[in-house]
Amino acid sequence: MPEKDKKKTSTISPKTPPPAALNKVEKESNVDRRTFFSWLSLGWVAFVAATGGFFTMMLRFFFPNVLFEPVQTFRAGYPDDYTVGEVDLRWKEKYGVWMVRNDEGIYVLSTVCTHLGCTPNWQPSAKKFKCPCHGSGFRMTGIHFEGPAPRPLERFKISLADDGEIIIDKTQKYQQEKGQWNDPESFLKV
Amino acid sequence: MSDKKNIFEKIAEGQIWKSIFRGGGAPKTRRQRMMVVLNSVFLHLHPVRLPKHAVKLKFTWCMGGLSFFIFLILTISGILLMFYYRPTIEYAYTDIMDLTEQVPFGIMREIHRWGAHAMVIAVWLHMFRVFMTGSYKPPREFNWSVGVILLVLTLLLSFTGYLLPWDQLAIWAIAVGSNMAGATPFLGAEGPGSSLLAIGDINFITKASDARFGLIGGRFLGEATLLRFYVLHCIGLPFIIMIFMAVHFWRIRKDGGISTPV
Amino acid sequence: MDAFKSLVNYISNPTILFTAVLVGFPFVFPPTNWFYKVHKKLGIHKLWTKKGLIIMVAITIAFFIFGLGDDNFKKIVLKPDNVPISGLIILLIFFTWLSLSQAYKNDKLIDEGKPVDEHYEAPNDKVLVWPDLVYVELISLILFSAFMLIWSIGLPAPLEEPANPSESPNPAKAPWYFLGLQEMLVYFDPWYAGVVLPTFIIIGLMAIPYIDTDPNGSGYYSYKNRMLSLSIYLFGWLVLWNVLIVIGTFLRGPNWGFFGPFEYWDSHRLEALTNVNLSELFYIKWLNMGLPSNILVREAPGLLIMFLTFAVTPPLLAKTALKSFYERLGSTRYTIFVVLMIFGALLPVKMYLRWFFNLKYIISMPEFFFNF
Repeated sequence: MPEKDKKKTSTISPKTPPPAALNKVEKESNVDRRTFFSWLSLGWVAFVAATGGFFTMMLRFFFPNVLFEPVQTFRAGYPDDYTVGEVDLRWKEKYGVWMVRNDEGIYVLSTVCTHLGCTPNWQPSAKKFKCPCHGSGFRMTGIHFEGPAPRPLERFKISLADDGEIIIDKTQKYQQEKGQWNDPESFLKV
Repeated sequence: MSDKKNIFEKIAEGQIWKSIFRGGGAPKTRRQRMMVVLNSVFLHLHPVRLPKHAVKLKFTWCMGGLSFFIFLILTISGILLMFYYRPTIEYAYTDIMDLTEQVPFGIMREIHRWGAHAMVIAVWLHMFRVFMTGSYKPPREFNWSVGVILLVLTLLLSFTGYLLPWDQLAIWAIAVGSNMAGATPFLGAEGPGSSLLAIGDINFITKASDARFGLIGGRFLGEATLLRFYVLHCIGLPFIIMIFMAVHFWRIRKDGGISTPV
Repeated sequence: MDAFKSLVNYISNPTILFTAVLVGFPFVFPPTNWFYKVHKKLGIHKLWTKKGLIIMVAITIAFFIFGLGDDNFKKIVLKPDNVPISGLIILLIFFTWLSLSQAYKNDKLIDEGKPVDEHYEAPNDKVLVWPDLVYVELISLILFSAFMLIWSIGLPAPLEEPANPSESPNPAKAPWYFLGLQEMLVYFDPWYAGVVLPTFIIIGLMAIPYIDTDPNGSGYYSYKNRMLSLSIYLFGWLVLWNVLIVIGTFLRGPNWGFFGPFEYWDSHRLEALTNVNLSELFYIKWLNMGLPSNILVREAPGLLIMFLTFAVTPPLLAKTALKSFYERLGSTRYTIFVVLMIFGALLPVKMYLRWFFNLKYIISMPEFFFNF
């Protein structure tokens, strides 16, 4: 029985079609082999491009054109409101900045730890910003000196309005490791 | 004869019962017991017969089955929680409070949270068992890899759910986690190599276009973040994990069922 | 009692605890025949007998009960989110024991030339799913559901104060299952510890069946014939994952400082942690000159070390210590295996460099956010 079956199947589905059959097909259709394959590859290229475009579209979907986020520019009172040699915490909650005034002037430090974005705490006794998440420490200038933080805290643009009030623009940031703290706009001379 | 049958036997031989449970009646003979498994869409996840060590708890620890069961518990309790929870900064926290205080039997949130912990542990222990019995060896290599993906998805599900109560624990865990995304090589604004993806002065990877932004939907954690994590947690990731689970279960059967000594 | 508490506090210091675990590990879970012999000679294999289990669990539970008498310990352990981790410790001990006790039993059977415990003769040794398996499943589900209910009624889920983006809690912790990674974040930069390392862990796990191609030991518990792969896996799983989670949960306090289990979490404790980069050590301390301004020159020592580690070590090992290994695995498998192992080994290496030399980065290029 099994032998008989074997014979049967082998006649029904031969592994390779006899060459005559192939030639016949080519003669019957007007499309020759080469044209067929070039159309085929064009089809595949179009398919891949369309799929890729579709996935790009899906990815782009996650990046909206308009953001609804809090205003990044604000007025921060007058220079005399800040004491020399102290870190001022009044805008920490609302705008996420520390105002620091030293002998020469005022600069604005971001409250975002450069390690993983926690908010460090100002420790007046130790004169440092200490991050609770992974123990990074920053000096009053914003320079990192302990823990895993890879770079100093960022500073924001600070300037005076015509009426003498301080204006802080958080969209402009200055990074020490890029030498941007020498930029006059990163520091308000008083 | 028939007057001696009790009510249960009558039901079991009636038309309704027989139409629901193909065959009907209690599975008493060997043939009936095999048919029970074959005829049920749920039971036929199993093979009909197993090697004897496959039913011993000391061999299987039951951790794979338990992981799936906890997933079902989490799905049901999660659906129930969705009836009360609104994913906005204004309401999220108070809705969670109400779940404990204003809803009768206010332990649904506990079941969901502790269930999530239990699922992570169960999946870990399942992986541990599979390694210790060498069950990742051929022909089960691919299914082991699918299992690793399931582990990652379990952790991601738990992680996205962590943000939803919108309390201090939640946002700081997610702040740390999402900032890591910002450090992705090339694709994060603070990752190595991102500054190389620029033409002249124009950076393509900025805080408003990097991997972190895609995850949290903004430059800061906020309304968009909560919504994104909510959708991922409730629909997106469960959808993906179910696909992989289907593959995982199917491959267990196709790879020859539970692993056995050769 | 106080003496005992301060002793525990002292030895749970990471340098001591981690070193003890690192040194003890190969004797408890021997990777090679030599370690296996010592392991037997010292009688450590008796841990995997019934007596061993009772002793291990009893000591753990006794420690927890004793600890609950201490206010600091109680505060940490009874925090709702930490309770599952105490459970995890006991579960890990139990399941490690459960697998290894069966493995050692099978090892003995194999030595005696007998079939292993899981051996079966198809089809005679097969059982029916209904009722044999279905009932086991049903009972497990009922028991587990009851357990979940009791757990949920007994322990309220934590809910802290409403989110406040300007005030980080101290300490701020990731979900407990990621604490091993958070621990790594202390020693590595986020791009590595948070993104690249997890990717390697996932890839490494997925690659296991394609690297360990030894067909022996599939479908039953055993130790002796798969010693090396089991030892490596157990090291990654128990030490680099779970021990770090336990450390991150119980021993990391305010400002991410180390605190012994009986120590008060003082958020004002001062710790001088001034870390230096390899380039600073090399040029300023050893060569007594300033840092070169050219980045590549500045980071040359670190880059050289990394080059030696990744480009020179694997072929060197293939020619020497791991020669038989190289021949068995072939070059592709061997390379992937060794590179993954080096990445794994870098974790403890960097931890020690930090503890003993305050080394921050081997390569430090903050200009490109590239620190390693």
